[in-house]
Amino acid sequence: MSQVAPLVSLRAANLGYGGVAVLRDVDLDIAAGDLIAMAGPNGAGKTTIFRTILGFIPTISGLLVRNCALNEFGYVPQSSALDSTFPITAREVVAMGGFGRLKPYERLPAGEKQRLDAVLEQVGLAQLASRSFFSLSGGQRQRMLIARALMVGPKILILDEPLSGVDPESQKAISDLLVKLNREEGKAIFFSSHDLRMVRSVTDKILRVDGGKAAWQEASTEQHPW
Amino acid sequence: MVSFWEILSPSFLLFPALLGSVILALVCPLVGAHLMLRRRMFLGLTLPQIAACGVACTFWLYHALGLDHGSGGERLLAMAGSLVFTLAGMGLLAYLDRHATGSPEGRLAAAYALASALTILFIVFNPAGEVEILNLLKGEVISLSKEELKLLAIVYGVVYLGLVLFRREFLLNSFDRDLSFLLTGGSVQWNFWLYVLCGFSIAVGVIMAGPLLVFGFMVLPPLAARTLARGMGWFLGLSSLIGIAIAVLGFFISVRLDLPLGPTDVAFGCVVIFAVYLVQAIWRRGHGPASLLALIIVLGSGCAVQRSPAPLDLALLGQSAIWLVPVRNGTDSDLRLPSTNPLRSLAEMAGKIAPDSRLTVMDLLRDSLQRELQQRQVKVDFAEARDRRMQSSSIAGDGAAANARAANLTGWLWLTEIRRWHSDGRSPLRAVVDMQLLRIADGSVHWQRQFSKTVAPSGAARLDELSADAVKAIMRDIFGA
Repeated sequence: MSQVAPLVSLRAANLGYGGVAVLRDVDLDIAAGDLIAMAGPNGAGKTTIFRTILGFIPTISGLLVRNCALNEFGYVPQSSALDSTFPITAREVVAMGGFGRLKPYERLPAGEKQRLDAVLEQVGLAQLASRSFFSLSGGQRQRMLIARALMVGPKILILDEPLSGVDPESQKAISDLLVKLNREEGKAIFFSSHDLRMVRSVTDKILRVDGGKAAWQEASTEQHPW
Repeated sequence: MVSFWEILSPSFLLFPALLGSVILALVCPLVGAHLMLRRRMFLGLTLPQIAACGVACTFWLYHALGLDHGSGGERLLAMAGSLVFTLAGMGLLAYLDRHATGSPEGRLAAAYALASALTILFIVFNPAGEVEILNLLKGEVISLSKEELKLLAIVYGVVYLGLVLFRREFLLNSFDRDLSFLLTGGSVQWNFWLYVLCGFSIAVGVIMAGPLLVFGFMVLPPLAARTLARGMGWFLGLSSLIGIAIAVLGFFISVRLDLPLGPTDVAFGCVVIFAVYLVQAIWRRGHGPASLLALIIVLGSGCAVQRSPAPLDLALLGQSAIWLVPVRNGTDSDLRLPSTNPLRSLAEMAGKIAPDSRLTVMDLLRDSLQRELQQRQVKVDFAEARDRRMQSSSIAGDGAAANARAANLTGWLWLTEIRRWHSDGRSPLRAVVDMQLLRIADGSVHWQRQFSKTVAPSGAARLDELSADAVKAIMRDIFGA
């Protein structure tokens, strides 16, 4: 697969919850500079792979190797998974990405504020920073969450369905952003989607997850796999 | 009548109670805000009830084991029971949240019902000290002693510091547990510490102020702040500010109208929430500035600082005498004061002296009035000494002046009626007294006032000491400092 040392490796891994495997014999390497999409229908196990890599759930069997610390993962959940009860601004959400570097009682230092402004500029939403996070559109929220993941200073970005539930214009903006981050900053990016056409416009490295298996999708396959 | 600025003065008799309310109102909304963000608002209702259950259970065990009751350590004992039950209940609920299926709200509702039922049963099982336990469960912030106030300040100070210093970690853990796990190495530890702080604040708060006030301060301010805040910092800060506003204004209303503090604060808090939502709804329809102005006027008119009525101007009475009619007791109690002389108590027990020869609140009031008037060079006398027909008269009745004329009295007639005078020794003394000064010649009312006083016991105060304090406060209102 990749020529560089992988940041994350899964070897013959069985993944699932409570000892019940959802996916079997998963082999996967994610190296620096990779841009990998994971495609598959809802419930196929895409999120299970993410959660295993991020250490939220253990592997049932097989091998998982991480060559970077957990706080070097930039994780972008689906924005609908966050609780809209919070009267939180977009800036406060993005700032959370820097919390791992601060002592509990420490005020946000000037360097972190500059970094915050920089990532907001990077996703092109600096002008919306003071708005309520949940008053933004789905696409804008997704980009804010990408900014939060960038705030971590990650070696690898993991994005759960970043293109779902957003309008076509936002899908294009998010895809362009992912490609830019990968090409210009060399970030490893691993994202999931059930929109194969959109996935192909971003990368040709596609992991197909379906029927309890994860396999690499041939680049020439045009037909929808499920 | 007490003015708004008077209650803010450290010399005000109930100032410690106000301070206690403000401490509760500063910290409880922060705790409630975190519970609200985690959609665990009902914990704010269930945990105080579990704490109350702990108090009742501890007292029952204490009695069942044959230990002495009423040895002075009741609050400490209650605190221990409250704390153990709160932390155990919180731990059990957290365990069930992680491992059990079913709705968390259902579990909280069931826990609330069980804790309420057990509280009553433990009180019923306990044949001794039922009243004391009920008093502890009611929680009277108005009767906080200095030591209790210190304890409240220390515990709530620690909770406040914890919530402020680690607010970032608690918020991140509430908002996105996955990110909290990645960045801080574990969400479980932050959950644990947040619930420990909640547990301590609830367990101590319930003993000091009762479940109702604690729950009210935990829920109502964050609900009002939620609609106004744009940002987490604002939300938390505004929750505390609204809590303090409710505490101070609720306290003022409670003292002014002689209402119990807890229910008054909670009812006023609901009014604040209603006002906030109403103003916001009108604001959204484009009448923002007008609605804000209307709110300020409405609140301003309700809470405006009213000047205390001027003291009685005795110079207007001229040289005429004032006849003091015996004070009328309008309560169900005989208002007899306990004897301070142990020999007299022994004599009473031996039947040598009749208990009804003891001083009453009515005597205390009239003697004080006589003394104050005489000190101001006013000619004053007891009406019944001149004519036995001049016994105590109701202020509502109109026959007093006519009776005085029939008894050939001239000048002024001073009528006093006690509407309320109650304290069970632990809770504050609440007194309501009406007074009226009539011109005997035509029965016209020259001056009248109702005095409403709440006197908090400091330590183990007796009814005679509380009553003396209340009478002094009334005299101050009549004649000035």
